[in-house]
Amino acid sequence: MLTVNCIVIVLFYLSLIIFKGNGDRIKDTMFEDIYSSLACYRRMNATHQIGCSSKRGGSTGVVHYCEQIEDLQFILKSGTAGPYIPVISTTLFKPSTVELLIKQNDKVSGLLVYNSKDFELKVDYFSHDKTCPNNEFNFHGSCKSWNPKGTGLLYADIPFPIFYVEHENDTMLIKECFTKFNNFSYPTQKDRSLCSLELDSFMYATTSTPTCKRRSNIVTNLNPIRLCDPLGDHNVWASLFPLVKGPEGQTEPIKDFDYIIIAARLDTTSLFDKTTGAESPVTGIVTLMSIAKLLKDMVGTWDENVKTNVLFILFNGETYDYIGSQRFLYDMERGKFPVDLPYDNTYLPIIYPNNVSLYIEISQLSKGARLYTHSLTETKKIANFISKLNSTSKTVPVVDIYDSLPPSSLHTFIRGKHAIEGIILANHEIEYVNHYYNSLYDIDENIEYKYQNNSDSYNNTLQQYIGDVATMVAQSVYEEIMNKKYTGSKTVDLSLINELFHCYLEDPNCKVHKAIQKAKLPKTPVSLYVGVDTVDTFISDLTSLTLAWLTGDVVGQSGPNCTNLNKDHVYKYFNMSSSMNDLDNMTCYRATVNRTEAVSPAFIIPDYDWSSNQYSSWSESSWHSLGVRMFLKPSAAHENTTIAIGSMMMVLSFTLVYFIKSRSNILFPPTILSDPPANC
Amino acid sequence: MDLAKIPNNRKLYLSRWYFRVGFLCLPIVWAINAVWFFNEAFRKPVYDEQKQIRKYVIYSTIGCLIWLILLVSWITVYQINRSAWGEFADKISFIIPLGIP
Repeated sequence: MLTVNCIVIVLFYLSLIIFKGNGDRIKDTMFEDIYSSLACYRRMNATHQIGCSSKRGGSTGVVHYCEQIEDLQFILKSGTAGPYIPVISTTLFKPSTVELLIKQNDKVSGLLVYNSKDFELKVDYFSHDKTCPNNEFNFHGSCKSWNPKGTGLLYADIPFPIFYVEHENDTMLIKECFTKFNNFSYPTQKDRSLCSLELDSFMYATTSTPTCKRRSNIVTNLNPIRLCDPLGDHNVWASLFPLVKGPEGQTEPIKDFDYIIIAARLDTTSLFDKTTGAESPVTGIVTLMSIAKLLKDMVGTWDENVKTNVLFILFNGETYDYIGSQRFLYDMERGKFPVDLPYDNTYLPIIYPNNVSLYIEISQLSKGARLYTHSLTETKKIANFISKLNSTSKTVPVVDIYDSLPPSSLHTFIRGKHAIEGIILANHEIEYVNHYYNSLYDIDENIEYKYQNNSDSYNNTLQQYIGDVATMVAQSVYEEIMNKKYTGSKTVDLSLINELFHCYLEDPNCKVHKAIQKAKLPKTPVSLYVGVDTVDTFISDLTSLTLAWLTGDVVGQSGPNCTNLNKDHVYKYFNMSSSMNDLDNMTCYRATVNRTEAVSPAFIIPDYDWSSNQYSSWSESSWHSLGVRMFLKPSAAHENTTIAIGSMMMVLSFTLVYFIKSRSNILFPPTILSDPPANC
Repeated sequence: MDLAKIPNNRKLYLSRWYFRVGFLCLPIVWAINAVWFFNEAFRKPVYDEQKQIRKYVIYSTIGCLIWLILLVSWITVYQINRSAWGEFADKISFIIPLGIP
């Protein structure tokens, strides 16, 4: 008995060693997942749908790896085994190619684009936004070809799925499979087993935002499902001086402030499900933060004579027709900013558009360029401010351009009921310097940013340039609010700029983010896509905390008293590290910072007339799954044999069962009852 | 139920009730009546109740066909025009397909 047990145990371990306990299911071993694929998905506005969708359950097609456009044309003309899924490099990914594929819709069931940046074939331009981004919501007549190489593919309705493959390994996997099974004797392709792909990005919503919103809310629908969600997140704002005065607990609002708004945008987008956004918007965000920090250092605490305050605002969703600024202005015009309270409340002052005396927007910036100040008309206020910029500038030449407004949040304010005077600071004069606007190639290399680990030499770096711009803007704004030139010794902190770029572009677990909060963040850069309003993104939270840290006052030791509980919320209190180089030393910060909703007014106005096109109306479709899998599609002969054998087996089994049943008395002889039935 | 085992008057009773119930917008009951009693009405040797059963079978068939024509034409019109009708079509739908206009 013991020996039998022993044998069983030995056999068991042997089997473990031999089979290694692999429990893969057949369906999983049939497919090879392409993990680094990024989907293109569908969005809707008031009238159109844009983006891509696969068939329900995924679109499948035979792989055709194309190195040149001729390869693609060849398969469209003489492919026998269609439908195909061409795999093309980013250099081939142009509107003309996509148009060609749309025209040959019956031969193509999807498209895979691979990264040609690793392959020495770097693309010179890669921007899928329009030539005049946000054209419908810009100030009338201001549209120019700002983004001249913009393909507009981001706004095209593409009838097949498109995926982007990020890693070279995955591209190689597909190429190998293609070479082994597909890439020979094309006329006989349809008789062979072929390497194929399944692209799954089935989108639930169609047509337009009003349609999908209506269909999501039908009470008689037996299968209620949310087809789409509005795009939206939060705007982040902070003020230079507190909005209230007086001792803590007995504060009263300061109602006679004039405000200067310093703004930038917080979001970008991409045709595929990943963003980078180095030049737009990160250069703007970092510059705004450095200005905030420097100004705070320069002005110190507020004294009664200063009648001008500064609001730092980061607008979210600006890429999609100025969602954030539209909502901000909408709230402001209705007396709902910073809070939805009556004008004579005793907590906070209500700020209206006519309280804003000047609006300064930081647009895209890049190293070494001149700083262009765009504005609509040459008013005294603006000319005055530009001359201040000129006088404070040491290294960066300032060029003023009037009657010129590149796409920016300022358009929203100019189109509002009370026009606000404003300027845009940018690195471009008549067209973007950025060749990768709103695409996933707008990476740190694009702005020549390199993280300096430990150095004091920022000579001739992006950090230095951003520092110079921040200094001149901060000093000019200082002059504007204090009515005197800055004579102090505060200078911009280049290591902070260095670190902030690192936070947004490379590593979310950077020193600044560790100083402001203690949670562990993902390893990959945080997405700068605005996302849908039902899901909060990290970025607006982190940005508001960073702004609080940069503009807050230190009010003593950190501890349980440093809290917003039982206080009237005119300030916010945060336990944060006192310096990014001394993370363990915690202090209590008090800041006037908050987030406001950045969801288009179109979604909150009851019975909004979608055809008016007054506000941004973008929404994003829901989906069940996104993914790409590779598999070997059997040849037609193989498939036919399988179905023939199956059918024959079925017929055979029916016949067999029939005969067995008709002769069941032979197989199961009837039992003869020994006792006759009882007489009832 | 095996029709062979029930008396003729019972068959007539059944067929009549199936015909009547069909008026409650239940064309499928008429269809069952027509199929189930077809042999009784047309292929069995003559008996007293057969004439009446035949009447009910014929009427049921006609009713059922009218329903069929109406349903097919409505479904065709609805499916073709669903996306064009917009809000109205969504309101009268119990199931809205995903991913198509």
